[in-house]
Amino acid sequence: MEQNLQYFLIPFLNWEMMLLIWVGVFAGIWVGAIPGLSVTMAASLLISFTFSWDINSALALICGVFVGGVYGGSITAILLNIPGAPAAIATGIEGYPLAQRGEAGKAIGLCTTVSVFASFVGIIVLAVAAPVIANFSLKFAPRDFFLLAVMGILLIGSIGGGDPVKGITAGAIGILISMVGMDPSTGEMRYTFGNIYLMAGISFVTAMIGLFGVSEALTQFRQAGLKSPKQNLDRIIPSWATFVKYLPLSIRSSLLGVFIGALPGTGGDVAALLAYDQAKRSVRNPSRPFGTGAYEGIVAPETANKGAIGGAFIPMLTLGIPGDAVTAIIIGALYIHGLKPGPMLMIETPHLFWMIVSCLSISSIALLVLGLISVKPFAKIIEIPKEIIMPVVIILSVIGTYAIQNSVVDIFYMIGFGIIGYFMRLYGYATGPMVLGLILGPMLDANYRRTMQGAEDQFLPFLQGFVTSPISLFLTLAIVFLVFSQTAVYRRWRGIQ
Amino acid sequence: MRKLTVALVVLFLFAGSALAAYPEKNIQGYIMWGAGGAMDNVARAITPMAQEHLGKTIIMQNKTGATGAIATTFVANQPADGYTLLFGAENPNLYKVTGLSQIDYDQFDPVFLMMGNVGVVVIPKDSPFKSYKDLIEAAASGKTVTVGSTGPGGLPYVATTMIEKIHGVKFNKVQFDGEGPCLTALMGGHIDAVAVGLLAAASHIKAGSVNGLAMISKERIPGLDSVPAVTEIYEQYAPYLPWGAFFGVFVKKGTPKEAYDALQAAYQKAYEDPKFDEFAKNMGGVKLGLTGDEAREFIKQNQSVSAWLLYDAGGAKFSPEEFGIKRP
Repeated sequence: MEQNLQYFLIPFLNWEMMLLIWVGVFAGIWVGAIPGLSVTMAASLLISFTFSWDINSALALICGVFVGGVYGGSITAILLNIPGAPAAIATGIEGYPLAQRGEAGKAIGLCTTVSVFASFVGIIVLAVAAPVIANFSLKFAPRDFFLLAVMGILLIGSIGGGDPVKGITAGAIGILISMVGMDPSTGEMRYTFGNIYLMAGISFVTAMIGLFGVSEALTQFRQAGLKSPKQNLDRIIPSWATFVKYLPLSIRSSLLGVFIGALPGTGGDVAALLAYDQAKRSVRNPSRPFGTGAYEGIVAPETANKGAIGGAFIPMLTLGIPGDAVTAIIIGALYIHGLKPGPMLMIETPHLFWMIVSCLSISSIALLVLGLISVKPFAKIIEIPKEIIMPVVIILSVIGTYAIQNSVVDIFYMIGFGIIGYFMRLYGYATGPMVLGLILGPMLDANYRRTMQGAEDQFLPFLQGFVTSPISLFLTLAIVFLVFSQTAVYRRWRGIQ
Repeated sequence: MRKLTVALVVLFLFAGSALAAYPEKNIQGYIMWGAGGAMDNVARAITPMAQEHLGKTIIMQNKTGATGAIATTFVANQPADGYTLLFGAENPNLYKVTGLSQIDYDQFDPVFLMMGNVGVVVIPKDSPFKSYKDLIEAAASGKTVTVGSTGPGGLPYVATTMIEKIHGVKFNKVQFDGEGPCLTALMGGHIDAVAVGLLAAASHIKAGSVNGLAMISKERIPGLDSVPAVTEIYEQYAPYLPWGAFFGVFVKKGTPKEAYDALQAAYQKAYEDPKFDEFAKNMGGVKLGLTGDEAREFIKQNQSVSAWLLYDAGGAKFSPEEFGIKRP
């Protein structure tokens, strides 16, 4: 124990690591805020960059960028309705209307405070219960990931913007586009027309930048010349009473985030969307109706995606299995630095575990300070005239898209999606469901087929699995309830309008 | 007189460019697999040591997609001047038979093959199977044995096909996104066994979170001596071996000899660095250290085993014969 505390204190006593964490968080916030520049990309760049460094310093920087980057994605979602990363999609739905009312400062302030809280929840769970959660997460069968994806698809109802037919259409097209490329199971080509660039599939990040970034910019050009809403920046730090009011929701969503983050292969994006949906269903009296700037709709996804950071480290540090894309890169970095990530990591190099816990803690503190300091300058971004800020957004979108995999073809895709998104908005189709379809399509496809293959392509054993495995049964019942709770019968019974 | 001057100037310029030592500028390196994977780790571990000997930076980028065909095609379309490197694995060996692409290692010269990856059959730690024989006999008795795979052409798929062909058995294959997810599913008890690359499995075998039954190799692997070589159990594997994945660095055919030699020397020196030894040991990789004709030979052998296994199993669109790939 004493030993662990000593390991925990390493970064606190080393000014170089301390400085690197702060620099990392600061850089992360900006990287995260730019659409397309993702934490994953920043982490992989940093790994070549820090090759000759000492591993402790490299980890300090990467942890800082991780925490800062997840936060940064939400800032642009609130200010410009352009999520910097998929984990911030839900935040934009409530955050942007708030910014339009002049409450951007308050929204970012709240977002910062609950983010830091959730990040600590994730770290504490990581420190206390990592092995237990890791072993439980292994029990999730492909069937359960399929059910999680189905649960995610139900979100179309939440982010589809009013008209269910339009929402479902956009979502279905999103799923269809996600199928383009090489079939992951048989290697057959789907909708590729013999084109090698289509064989690689269409990256959902590329589509997201187009559908959210460029199409939003094009839409806002229509309002060029209009005066931007004046921002009220008097009270940006939420009062203690406000914080306590959202505490139950924060705890619930951050724990959900930790758990989803700990599942191998799912990260902050799925966590944030599920948490938003959960809040929308369970909060009885939101500060404003959802979709028009409910603070609950910021708290839930923001706490979930920050909780997912600690969660992602759980399987990585205990089992050597990445919890998400960033931790996958960190595993690679550990190898390059001569360490052996894997189940023995905690036994052979316990200092590493406690040092990561500690680096994440310092990062969260840094986030609180840097986040709150930058609320005012950030909020000013809104007041910049549209005709100046939107071209900048488009340029950043192009750079961000190219940077994903150094592909010029991706830029054309991105612009194409931007134009499609513009017309979708013009005719009242929300772009969110399409991105949702793109994110969840592969998860649905691959896990459905894995489950089928596991059942030797027999329909009956396939169905049996949903009731014989406890996890699957729980998830199946949850989905049934989610659907049932939307029916008139249920609403009348519970007395909800 | 004027003509003579021009001729002299031209001659001088040519001589100048020929004399300028390679490399004059930074080199671009394209990795065909994503960040954090085995290919990426190997490339990023050896390259910083190699560039010290070159005196210029090698800028590493991941260019993924279509099991590496995007990066392979891209580098094949760059000038053959030694300033664009391809960091590639065994995958292009199957592009032609699967119909994925016509551009494979025939268009490249191997600069250096750093590391190999041997297949290993693993089972969960609480599995009812105690030995490789148990597993094969269970499958032969008609019991359903579910194994993980990463799709046609991947190491698990080809290794499983090899086992099926040799023993005349059939496994129920479930496809995952990579070898890591296969192992995760194995640990969770969602599949019964999987044949994966040792690079992915070594740490898990050492920690005892999965059990290694057999190495698909003729010899046991140093550091993991407890896992028997498959030929100790069944001799029928011998004609297919050595077989496994490999990780190398390539340049387009027609690259000037001077550039090729400089790169080859740099990677050779990096390969001999004790830091790389340490890295290979930690990862569980087999050091290859092949270059020139030896490397080409190794690649051909790998291609012939994989392509024919895949074709015989019905996983290939075109016969390897069409492309002059000999049967092993």
